[in-house]
Amino acid sequence: MTVRKGNLLSLSAVILLALLSVLILSLPVYRFDATVFTKRSGNTFMGDERYQAARAEVDDTVADYTRRGIHTEVSEEVIERVNSKGDTTSLVIFRVNREIGCSGWDFIRTGFPSGRVLVWMLAAEGLALLLACGAGIRDSRKRSGETWRRRVRQAAAWAALLCMLLTVFFVLYTNVIIYRRIGLYAAGVAESPGEAVLASADALIYQGAGGTDTAALLRDTASHCAVTWWLQLPVLLCMAALLVRLSGADVRKTFARGCLYLFVIVMCAVILYPFVIMFTSAFRTDADANDINFLHLFPVDWRWENFSHILGRGVLRYLLNSLLLSSGSTCLALLCGIPAAYALARMRFRGRKAFLGFVIMSQMFSPVVLLVGISRLLIDLRLSDTIPGLVFINAAFNQAFAIWLLRGTFVSISPEMEQAACIDGCNSVSALIRVLIPMSAPGIVTTLIFVFINSWNEYTISTVVIHSDVNFPITVGLTQFAAFSMIQWNYLFASSLLATVPVVILFMLIEKHLVSGLTSGGVKG
Amino acid sequence: MNQILVRHKWEPYLWLLPSLLLMGIFVVYPIGIVFKLSFSEISRSGMVGGFNGLSNYITAVTAPEFGSVMLNTLIWVVSVVGISTLLGFIVALVLNAEFRGRKIARSIVVFPWAATLVVQASMWKYIINIEYGALNNTLLNTGILSRAVNWRPSYIIDFAWECGIGIFVTVPFVTFCVLAGLQSIDLSYYEAATVDGAGFWKKLRHLTLPLVRPSLTVSTVLNIIYVFNSFPIIYTITRGAPAHKTDTLVTYLYMLAFSEQRKGPATALSVVGFVILCICAGAYMIITMRKEDAE
Repeated sequence: MTVRKGNLLSLSAVILLALLSVLILSLPVYRFDATVFTKRSGNTFMGDERYQAARAEVDDTVADYTRRGIHTEVSEEVIERVNSKGDTTSLVIFRVNREIGCSGWDFIRTGFPSGRVLVWMLAAEGLALLLACGAGIRDSRKRSGETWRRRVRQAAAWAALLCMLLTVFFVLYTNVIIYRRIGLYAAGVAESPGEAVLASADALIYQGAGGTDTAALLRDTASHCAVTWWLQLPVLLCMAALLVRLSGADVRKTFARGCLYLFVIVMCAVILYPFVIMFTSAFRTDADANDINFLHLFPVDWRWENFSHILGRGVLRYLLNSLLLSSGSTCLALLCGIPAAYALARMRFRGRKAFLGFVIMSQMFSPVVLLVGISRLLIDLRLSDTIPGLVFINAAFNQAFAIWLLRGTFVSISPEMEQAACIDGCNSVSALIRVLIPMSAPGIVTTLIFVFINSWNEYTISTVVIHSDVNFPITVGLTQFAAFSMIQWNYLFASSLLATVPVVILFMLIEKHLVSGLTSGGVKG
Repeated sequence: MNQILVRHKWEPYLWLLPSLLLMGIFVVYPIGIVFKLSFSEISRSGMVGGFNGLSNYITAVTAPEFGSVMLNTLIWVVSVVGISTLLGFIVALVLNAEFRGRKIARSIVVFPWAATLVVQASMWKYIINIEYGALNNTLLNTGILSRAVNWRPSYIIDFAWECGIGIFVTVPFVTFCVLAGLQSIDLSYYEAATVDGAGFWKKLRHLTLPLVRPSLTVSTVLNIIYVFNSFPIIYTITRGAPAHKTDTLVTYLYMLAFSEQRKGPATALSVVGFVILCICAGAYMIITMRKEDAE
């Protein structure tokens, strides 16, 4: 076991950084441009007695503050009005503003709710320091060190990371209390945040002078986090890095790893965000879904009846239509696709290459540019506005993909079994059914699910071809809640949820197989 | 021998018959209809008149909004395909690394690919609304904003949002294409490069990029076609408003044909779109067939 000079240095640096971070906490970390005094003088003429009296009162207040060594600024707002006699009078509003810097200790002392975050932060920092010192200065590298030291130092690094998170959280939480909980209360939108919160805000910003007006005063208050507070982050980051170094790990690698996790977390958050919104809004009341001042992440009362309402308004029918339509399309696509893929994979004939080229090419033909032609064709075939019509179209436009993927599966399976079966007297039909299809089941299931999903998600053709309400598939049906003038978001999202959940689950099942299918040809929904 | 016995010369064609019939009637025949209609006179009620030469094309091309629609289509395809290819590549590189929770992350990345576009477009429409939008609500509730922001101040920003949503739903496809390519790379290449002292960027430039180029090509060409054809996002969010200024070719075509009942110019535009698609599809076919030959 070795003691290295570097370790002693690192540990002292950790202690110094911890002290520095406490020092930052004592600086004015949060600034409020607070209105500390308001005087309204109505029905005045500029410069008349009333004005002078109000002005004098304001000046007194300013002088009072100046005596206490506090710098204030006076702003004067003039609103002109014409009274019943036709004279122009003014409403003059004087505001005495001061900038208040609050240190972290002020937050804790006054019991401001976000002060608790600072207490946790200090606790985490103390823990990190305690652990770091507890592990001593002996080495904990993999070869020479002891495992427990490494563990303890790693824990200390995690504590420092927690500190960083709490640093950011403190700012967010402070803003939320001031702008949302108190601000919305002052605007008459939300319920009172409680006497204790108001009293602590009063004590923090107005030194108890706000009294019952605190909420109203806070409405005019701009606040922002001072630059000094953000110095915490680099300080804590250095602390964590030193602790990682002490634990014997490669700092650069650990940092790269941290960035990787950060990227993944941010990415997942961005992707999931709209889906979470859909999910939570589906359970809200109509009023809550249309309320920008809605203060909760999750619904207050979970409205399961949203689902029974939409099922009653035709969504059940649409879901059944979609199920019917997608199953029909899938069956038809596979019934036609399997024989074709079989021939392409196992037989050699003239025109094989041309057909393959056509298949690849037709993978590109989106039905959208052919909409006019398709709608006319279905009218001619008397299939317009029917589910069978959609079944044929979906099956036809998924044919290319089905053939392509199935052919890839069939080619990857050795034909020896079938050849043996043929020698035993099977014809090619029974060789396909008895031998090849069971062997290529995973590929067939993948194709099946993918075609199913494509048909389920299809929207454009259905909007053109289907006119009557009873035949709508879910993708078209759910847009009835999004009428141009009025959108019922909670119903829209409840039906969207029903339309999305089965598909996403199915898709996650085949994702792995689909990736290998992609290498042999490209597909997308 | 990768083949089985064929008893009759015509047998393979019999196997192909159902598929050929299905595609012939429902894919090829509509193409013919569209071509024929584009050269015919069509009344507002949809009655087809006689041959009238190129007049449908002339009407379509000389319409005042034609230029901006084509420009929008170009911006839409280039920006969505370009940016989502770049992002998808980065995401694939990340998902190819070993880390805890990789499986979960991969399942999450699938979401925008699997969910219906109409649903996703509606979600985003709700999110960016100014009066009650979820984005404003979230940013206000977390104290990041102190005042609601109008996320849709002009149609240009609207179109940018549509491009952004297009990118959001396209990235997973690129990611999984590249991921498939990355997973087929022999790890020994990387070991050799590491022994030779190559850093991360060198390995990326000289090893990873050339090896996944085929997957990138496939995904790019396919994306050009799919993005070109993408309809629900723009239709749900702006419907091309105001005055077709946020329309791309396919949404414009839809509006002409089914809400303005001007089927003549619409079919002419269908043919234009179809020809553009054919060129892209031809390029894709050549790439794929070459790959097929190489195997």
